[in-house]
Amino acid sequence: MQRFLRLSVLLLGLFAAASSYAADAPPPALTTEDDLGPAIEQPIEFPHFRHAGDADKGGMQINCMYCHTYARRSLVAGIPPIQKCIGCHQSIESVRETPRIKKLFEYWDAKKAIPWKKVHDLPDYVRFSHERHIKRFIFQLNRPVQEVCGYCHGNVKEMTVARRSKLLSMGWCVSCHQQDHPVTDEGGTPIGNQAYWYSMHKPPVDASGIIKAKGPNDCSVCHK
Amino acid sequence: MMNSGSVKHLAGHPFDRRDFLKVLGWGGAAVALSGCGNGSVEDGKETVVSYVETNDYMIPSISVYFNSTCAQCDAGCSITGRIREGRVLKLEGNPNSAINRGKTCGLGQAGVQHHYNPDRVREPLLRNGDQGEAITWEKAYALIAEKLNGVSGEEIAFLTGGVSGHLKVLLGNYLDSFGSKNHFVYEAVGPAVLRAANKKSYGVEMPRFNINKAKVVLSFGADFLGAWISPVHFSQQYAQFRKGVDGQRGVLVQIESKMTLTGANADRWLVVRPGTEGILALGIINALGTATGDIAAAVKGYDKARVSKDTGVSAEQIDKIVALLKERTPSLVLAGSAAEGYAHGSQNAAAINLLNQVLGNVGKTVEAAAVVPFPQMAPATGNTFALKTLNDGLNAGKYKVLFSYAANPVFTAPGAMKFKDNLAKAGFKVAFTHYLDETAMQADLVLPLDSALEDWGTQVPEYMAEGAQINIQQPLMEKLHANTRGMGDILLALIKLRRADDYKKYDDYYAYLRAAVLQNKGALGGGVADDDTFWNETLSKGIIKLASAAHALSGKAGAAGLSLPAPSAIDAQYPLQLIPSVNASLRDGRNTNQPWLQESPDPLTTIVWDSWVEIHPRKAAELGIVEGDIVEVTGKNGSIKVQAYLFPGIHPDAISIPLGRGHEALGRYAKGYGVNPFQILDMVFDKETGELALHETRVKVSKTGSRVIVVKDEGPAGGSQMGKKIAARLPSDKVKLSEEVYYVG
Repeated sequence: MQRFLRLSVLLLGLFAAASSYAADAPPPALTTEDDLGPAIEQPIEFPHFRHAGDADKGGMQINCMYCHTYARRSLVAGIPPIQKCIGCHQSIESVRETPRIKKLFEYWDAKKAIPWKKVHDLPDYVRFSHERHIKRFIFQLNRPVQEVCGYCHGNVKEMTVARRSKLLSMGWCVSCHQQDHPVTDEGGTPIGNQAYWYSMHKPPVDASGIIKAKGPNDCSVCHK
Repeated sequence: MMNSGSVKHLAGHPFDRRDFLKVLGWGGAAVALSGCGNGSVEDGKETVVSYVETNDYMIPSISVYFNSTCAQCDAGCSITGRIREGRVLKLEGNPNSAINRGKTCGLGQAGVQHHYNPDRVREPLLRNGDQGEAITWEKAYALIAEKLNGVSGEEIAFLTGGVSGHLKVLLGNYLDSFGSKNHFVYEAVGPAVLRAANKKSYGVEMPRFNINKAKVVLSFGADFLGAWISPVHFSQQYAQFRKGVDGQRGVLVQIESKMTLTGANADRWLVVRPGTEGILALGIINALGTATGDIAAAVKGYDKARVSKDTGVSAEQIDKIVALLKERTPSLVLAGSAAEGYAHGSQNAAAINLLNQVLGNVGKTVEAAAVVPFPQMAPATGNTFALKTLNDGLNAGKYKVLFSYAANPVFTAPGAMKFKDNLAKAGFKVAFTHYLDETAMQADLVLPLDSALEDWGTQVPEYMAEGAQINIQQPLMEKLHANTRGMGDILLALIKLRRADDYKKYDDYYAYLRAAVLQNKGALGGGVADDDTFWNETLSKGIIKLASAAHALSGKAGAAGLSLPAPSAIDAQYPLQLIPSVNASLRDGRNTNQPWLQESPDPLTTIVWDSWVEIHPRKAAELGIVEGDIVEVTGKNGSIKVQAYLFPGIHPDAISIPLGRGHEALGRYAKGYGVNPFQILDMVFDKETGELALHETRVKVSKTGSRVIVVKDEGPAGGSQMGKKIAARLPSDKVKLSEEVYYVG
């Protein structure tokens, strides 16, 4: 009896452990399915929808890269300096007395940095470059900015403060890198004049002459 | 996860510890799994702080670079700092400097550890018994003013390390303001004897040594690849010298009693009886047979048989050196610190310089150096005579107020000098310092300085590589600690207390520096550029290069007054000569608290984080000492206990202990590691210059009975390469230096 009891307690522990594991996060799947992160409280509830949202929904349709100016030049997109916010808001009298803007000016007057919480935080052993992705998809493939940023960040233009809406696991990254992306124009000229490394096998060419290839697949691309 | 309470409750009976651990183990595994599984993206855990205001060029993850000057030693190498997200990460050499041409040494690399050192002093501290009490700067300045009140200029002393540039000007003006002439410039291991000898031989203290133009270099203990004068510059010259002039690869002959890094790189390394370098130099002059007049007369007595007997260098070797010097011109002869460190050090250096003169090298490989056309900014170079003078003054109770900056005499003065006790006789002691070093620990008021990477300044190097240059020191990042101050700012604040009218137009040292540089824009090569453009360009380059004339060089000193003593007889009680060696990274010990330097193995012994005593294997066998034995090294002025390392590159009648370790303060990375040979040095001084003769200490070695494993990089069998006979090591008593046959095991 004693022995049985012990075993049952052990099994119970195992079950509890397993279920806690399951509850924390589902096993990874190679999908692009949305995976909503927790809502995060920020020092100022920044309304992305107001700044980047569509005009018919009251948004200003500001390009993401107007504020996140480092994204096209650096590994990290960066949070804009307060200077940037003030640059516009010092001449927008209509919202000057609203609580959020008042709070913004408090930080500015005290010359204190705003302690934003990081929403999209990859582990330190992952080297993700915003610059490379933006160069490829926005400047070479001419895709719309909000669509491209949205691949990873979701539909930020409808959010207030950002909330993670993609899994951002390695499997999730790979699910996109495994797809065939066009690397040449119709005539076979490399897009953006950037010759593409096809690895061991040159991929098949379709009827219109467009060559498609998968995204970079070497470990060392992300794990330096 | 479950806790033990709920398990107990579920099971309904007491649980023993083993069962509990089992369950806990499973639970823990589950936590670990869920912690590192697919949910590795952390949302909202870390803070991402943006700038409030920033320059356009400050982009997160992209580095920016600023030029400044390395302050790790006095060579004045220009550096470029890599700064990311407002933090300095790495220092490299600035390619535009003729001194270091884009390179740095290990010491320079460790400069970031000076800046980020956790043991930096962060607040002004006032002595309260054994404790330092944090006070404000206003109170500190007021206290200094109060203590200086009614004190005459003669009763005030200012002790510094080597200073130059505008800081020296400001310091001079400050001392002037109360009519004090007591500026003591102290350098524990500087080439002070050489400066005096050079002044006599060549007419200048520090000429240029063109190693790269020489076809043979004969170096008497000058460790120019390691720690001598401007090692980064000399290393690059050495590389050119090895590539050769006119297709002739340069040959390096090193003559010394203890092998240095340079000696280890030499084509021929000759061990010489300590202190007989000058005799050998005169013997070579005699053997060359080209000298005439009074020089010929002076060297007449130095025939090969006598020189060989005195120095321990065989007649055959002398012949070989002479043949080499005759065959290859120009040559270059260097008198290093090993030749200087004796009571007759000046004579040694003069004899060695005379050899240069006889060989016709003056004007060819020994050239006049360029001069900065602002004499008030020229470096005040340090020596040990200054320390002795200060010490005598302190002992006589002459000084009521003592300032100390960039010097740590409590650590570097010979113990027999009783500097620490004499220092206590000064009424009020102010230390400007980065760390609580041994000297700061004795101070009444400690004022914390900005690090070299946070401070403004100008520096004029003592050794000018090509044209004259003034180096700019500028902050590479914001200050780490709010309450540290730049030395220039402190001096400016202090001088404002005395000469407010002259200095009130300068808000801070930066303003002073900018005004001083722009005032001489024409002379500094600014031409017609407007002030802002010139200033910004100057800061961006980090160097002001000047068109200037060179000192006149004279090469006709002759042999007047040259007299070398016969080698001293072996002392029966203290039979061994102690050579305190200057190691490339630790030097005089001011940088010992930078752990990279503690961790980088000594180039010759590969020992880390500790001191050692080098003993010749034959002597060790005589004394029954093996590697790792803790031995007691006893001299007339005390003893130290240190681990033994058997080293064939040393004269059998000498032992060597490196300087720099053995701190009793200076922070967690320095305190308590190794021993300090400065403490047991004999008080012997050079007869001409009054400099402390570092190599004149006699000691005996005895076993203590304990033994340790020496922590070092090389294998247990030394350099035997695991028996593969690639680079077999031969005990030096078996090496026949006169036969150049490489031993292959």
